[in-house]
Amino acid sequence: MSDSVIHQKEESREVTFRVHRFNPQVDSKPYFDDYKIRLEKGITVLRALNYIKEHVDASLTFRAFCQAGICGSCAMRINNMSKLACTTQVWDELAKSREPDVIKVEPLRNLPLIKDLVVEMDPLVEKMKGYSNWVESRIPEDEWGRKEFLVSEEEFLKYDKATDCILCASCVSECTILRANKEYVSPAVLLKSYRMNVDGRDSFHEQRLAGLVKDHGVWDCTHCYRCQESCVKHIPIMDAIHGIREDAIAERGTRDTSGARHAEAFMEDIEKKGKLVEATLPIRTNGVVWTMKNLLPMAFKMVLKGRTPPPPQLVKSTKDIEKFREEFKEMTGHVAKDHAKKTGE
Amino acid sequence: MKQYAYYQSCINESMTREVDRSIELWQHDLGIEMVKLHESTCCGGSNLDYVSPKHFALVNARNIAAAEKMGLDLVVSCNTCLMTIRSAKKKLDESEALRNEVNEILGKEGLEYRGTSDVRHLLWVLIDDVGLDAIRGKVKVPLSKLRIAPFYGCHILRPSSVLGKDNPMEPTSLDQLLDALGGKTINYDHKNRCCGFHTLLVAEEESLNVAAEALQEAIDEKADCIVTPCPLCHTVLDGYQAKALKKSGSHGSIPVYHLSEVVGLALGYNERQLGIRRHIVT
Repeated sequence: MSDSVIHQKEESREVTFRVHRFNPQVDSKPYFDDYKIRLEKGITVLRALNYIKEHVDASLTFRAFCQAGICGSCAMRINNMSKLACTTQVWDELAKSREPDVIKVEPLRNLPLIKDLVVEMDPLVEKMKGYSNWVESRIPEDEWGRKEFLVSEEEFLKYDKATDCILCASCVSECTILRANKEYVSPAVLLKSYRMNVDGRDSFHEQRLAGLVKDHGVWDCTHCYRCQESCVKHIPIMDAIHGIREDAIAERGTRDTSGARHAEAFMEDIEKKGKLVEATLPIRTNGVVWTMKNLLPMAFKMVLKGRTPPPPQLVKSTKDIEKFREEFKEMTGHVAKDHAKKTGE
Repeated sequence: MKQYAYYQSCINESMTREVDRSIELWQHDLGIEMVKLHESTCCGGSNLDYVSPKHFALVNARNIAAAEKMGLDLVVSCNTCLMTIRSAKKKLDESEALRNEVNEILGKEGLEYRGTSDVRHLLWVLIDDVGLDAIRGKVKVPLSKLRIAPFYGCHILRPSSVLGKDNPMEPTSLDQLLDALGGKTINYDHKNRCCGFHTLLVAEEESLNVAAEALQEAIDEKADCIVTPCPLCHTVLDGYQAKALKKSGSHGSIPVYHLSEVVGLALGYNERQLGIRRHIVT
């Protein structure tokens, strides 16, 4: 291959966009259309879609506005990953394509489909409202405009990253639990709730937290990290979810939800035994009745295969575990001191 | 014989004992030796980090420091232990204050966290240290008859800021290893998705939906088996398989193997030796 051919291949290529199509007024089910277009290097997926709409098929429907990664309107699934079309380079996607020179474009998942690449955002907005994800001012309304809040840098840093969220719903689209149950709160809503709960100007923390620990709330997250990995603003969303959990345990204790009891069991076992005793974890999380009802038939099969108790070999020598317990206890002292310092401030 | 400090995951000492058993069988065939870290404790299983971040740092600094004392890398064969211990290591490496606080306590046991030992998954050791060509050369019974659905599990891939070895959404490492063992892998959506393990006791219905969807896709793609590098994924996909598929109305079933078992099969060990008969779906 001569240098000029390589050069040409790099600067301009024929690319197939395999685009999800669905018009509920005429189509019984979704299908894919292939649009083969020649593109210059440096073009984004959004510009390619605009080109298709202008020159190839005016019926192709998608949402877009700012073209600069700010408004979040053009989130869609590109090559099996939710992202913004306006900040995604065609050349970068070609390097990842499963089929050479083909880029697959689909609507976001986990939200109702309206047409082609457009989804309904209302369910997300409704959930945001359901958890009162705005600042409920600590200042009474009749004093508004006469008093001001001073926000320290330290306080601002707690939610600085969370405020980068542009509500594009990429994380919502990739969420494992939302895919399994549409009632689930969803990562974008948890991120926003966290952001409000750590805001010192807000007065709704307690009520919001009480809502977040209910069914389909913060404890249902399965730690798959797909939300964080798909976030177009690189926000550590799992830190926010874990932040709400930490707050829930600190404010509400560990007994009120199965999620908190489950988490606490890890702490208890490590403190006492060094190792997790999985055999009794279901009972400690959900009680005897739930465990008998839900797990007994399976436990029976597992026992037959030798898969359940005896419990794990705990930390071997007595000397080791005693030293470990002392260390654990010493750290408990540090944590208590930290807490006293924090509340004293 | 290259040695590693081997972290004993709680689940591999109870429900999935076949994992450590199979590694012990073939480790010397591949020129590696896993030295068990008997004094290690539970990593916190992706839960302790928010129950008490400082205890989380202490416990895992101690686990890593025990490997450092031996001058060896810490190797784990559970995805969640990998992610959890690596994320503690990242926090410790990034904060001198946390390191000092933890070391002040560990010092009384003669331990010190220095950050000198890496924390790695068995899969990574096989690919990077033993090498795919060397493994290929040792295969006695190629897995060529098997159409395999690789199931990576989340915590060997994500968060990529902590793991960073593979593409978190388009991984290839397990496929490469299975290829070296002579197997044919399929490309399917669920290979990088979640098994639902971490919500099994908190949101069982959702977890079973997640597991059923993954199992069904592998069945629909006509895979002969699923292979996973994570004993937690195995517990859901094997142990809860019947319950998950019954709930979703499916009549299929599919065997699920641990990574360590298929390595053993390819190296010539049989199902009984490897503990495969302990699985629920056989």
